[in-house]
Amino acid sequence: MYQLTEKHPLSAGLPPIAEDVFASMWRLFVHIGKFWNNMDDPAPYRSQLYTFMCNRISLYPIYHEYYILAKKVMDELIAERGEDAAYELLFTDAGALQTPPKTPLALVRQCVSNEFVAWQLALGGFKAWGAENYCGYIGGAFIPGQPAPYRTWS
Amino acid sequence: MKVETLIIGSGVGAAALAQRLLAKNPRASILMLEAGGSVKMKDAALWQNYVVSGNLPYDPYQDADYPERGQPGENVSLGGTVMGLSGSRVFTLGGTTIHWDGWSFRLKPEDFRLYSNTGQGIDWPIGYDELEPYYGQAEHYIGVSGEAKDCGVPRSTPYPFPAFPYTLEDQPVAAAMEKLGIAYGHMPIARHGVTETTSTHAPCQTTGTCLYCPFGARYSANNFLNDMVAWGAYPNLEIRLNSFVKEITMSTKHRASGVVYHDRFAGKDVVVEAEQVIVAAGALESPKLLQRSRSSHWANGIGNDLDLVGRYLITQPYYAFSADIAANPARLQPEMAFATLCSRHFDSVEEQPKGKFVIGNPPSAPAINLASQMQAGRRRADIDRYVDGTQQLQLIGQIEIVGDWKDRVSNYGKMNSMGMIETAIDFTKPASFDARFVEVQARINRIFEAMPATPAANPFLSWRADHSCCTTRMSTDETQGVIDRDLKVHGVDNVYVCSNAAFSSSGSVNPTLTLAALALRLGDHLNKSTTKASAAR
Repeated sequence: MYQLTEKHPLSAGLPPIAEDVFASMWRLFVHIGKFWNNMDDPAPYRSQLYTFMCNRISLYPIYHEYYILAKKVMDELIAERGEDAAYELLFTDAGALQTPPKTPLALVRQCVSNEFVAWQLALGGFKAWGAENYCGYIGGAFIPGQPAPYRTWS
Repeated sequence: MKVETLIIGSGVGAAALAQRLLAKNPRASILMLEAGGSVKMKDAALWQNYVVSGNLPYDPYQDADYPERGQPGENVSLGGTVMGLSGSRVFTLGGTTIHWDGWSFRLKPEDFRLYSNTGQGIDWPIGYDELEPYYGQAEHYIGVSGEAKDCGVPRSTPYPFPAFPYTLEDQPVAAAMEKLGIAYGHMPIARHGVTETTSTHAPCQTTGTCLYCPFGARYSANNFLNDMVAWGAYPNLEIRLNSFVKEITMSTKHRASGVVYHDRFAGKDVVVEAEQVIVAAGALESPKLLQRSRSSHWANGIGNDLDLVGRYLITQPYYAFSADIAANPARLQPEMAFATLCSRHFDSVEEQPKGKFVIGNPPSAPAINLASQMQAGRRRADIDRYVDGTQQLQLIGQIEIVGDWKDRVSNYGKMNSMGMIETAIDFTKPASFDARFVEVQARINRIFEAMPATPAANPFLSWRADHSCCTTRMSTDETQGVIDRDLKVHGVDNVYVCSNAAFSSSGSVNPTLTLAALALRLGDHLNKSTTKASAAR
């Protein structure tokens, strides 16, 4: 991945992701691992989440607004229910899966949370289910004489 | 504008040929015309978008579905069997290599003698031995990882990269095949490996996202062409995008003068003179171009006096058979995006009269999808039970089909969304196919039962045009095919077809490696011709 990142013409004029917005999104990412018990230490992936968010905005400028909305929705839910219950609602509420999303919660679930889920799995969350490699995970090259970067049989 | 070599298309045939010509003469004058645009490759944002959404950046550059009630669609299917176009090819720089899986089989020697062995179809005018050195070169060119000892065909050179080890998912398939005495081996796959030589092509990082490789480790012709333009020091190589070739123009019956193409964004027709014209536009667009290149010299299109251009259209029917296992204690799940185990056991002389077939173990089965489970809101314990529980295994592959004169591709007259003339497909599967399919299913079900797994009732079968070929087939004389053993149109001195259209028959394996070998061989042929012409001057 050595080429420049594809950019939407509108994304160049957007301000950087605000610190408090990213902090909120990072908490959401951490809670994915906590809720599904599939990532003990997410800290190494903090910068990768930031890059991921920047790239989403770069391709689709509306993601800048999605992330701001997600912070607002989560702030309100946490104030109302407490942190763990707020994330549980975000991750499991069946109504938030209705498409197209018609509520702020549904928008956050579908455009932010569920994308973070897919990205978290690709960063290593999949390992909790026994595999060594995953579609989206950069497992590394197969170097002859060394173990392959996936489960093998011979 | 005047060029030495004009290449229509930019897939593997075009790219391999251009590279071979430029290796001999870096100053060779080559113009490549691509009807589509280009997609940015190895881009982090596009790759991440694919990872989280499944959307590929080249999705918009494909055929629409056939017209349906309430949907205008594109192209037309006229025959008794629907050969789908949507999803089978991509109109961008690099052509369809941008989305191929990378199965890189050689044809077997008997495939070149189809008529002699079975009385069906025709023999190739060249034999396996003649193409064998080019197969080796093609494997190096596109970067194939494989194991020489289990490839099942004679070979004089090793693969450039060692085979990828079998995945754990391969274990039940391999065990069942061993029990039944069915030979299996490593899938020869177009993925660059680790090499000690200098290469601009990164080794496979097993990302499992091969349809848009973030590193360019799977051969995609546009990566190679981009490199050639950026770093190749080829001052006279030019690639023009969004340039749809309307016709090849002829100065005499036996000699083309060049082409007329439509520059889509400039909105005008452009005339190019060329010393030689290479039609490398795939098995469907290549014959269509010859058909519509009508003139006083060729009233029915170039090379079409005997109504053979576009005829003998085939594709390899793709099957997927499934079977259930009651539990998944090893938690088998997709860890790769390409198959590592295959079997050419039934790709044999014995099976040739009825149609050979190959078997692959797809990396996508069991089709465990952790993301969809979590995104649906399932809890950890539920997902654990899902992973451990009943799963469906699959075996996939292709079956050999022999071409029939009545099956044909032609121009439909309307323009598609990319400014190209739409396609008419007139194809009906062979009458014997259904019985053969039942036989293949029985063979595959025996493998499932030996695992043991319970075969599922409804097999999947697709006649999509991914491996379409033979539409300007190579022949010893003009009564049987359109082009000669050097890929030159019979009766024309300077028009060549370098695409799957050139195949005399297809066997049961993916055509890309064979096309790359033919392209490199054509490059040598043209280089020799150039040398002779220079000497004569």
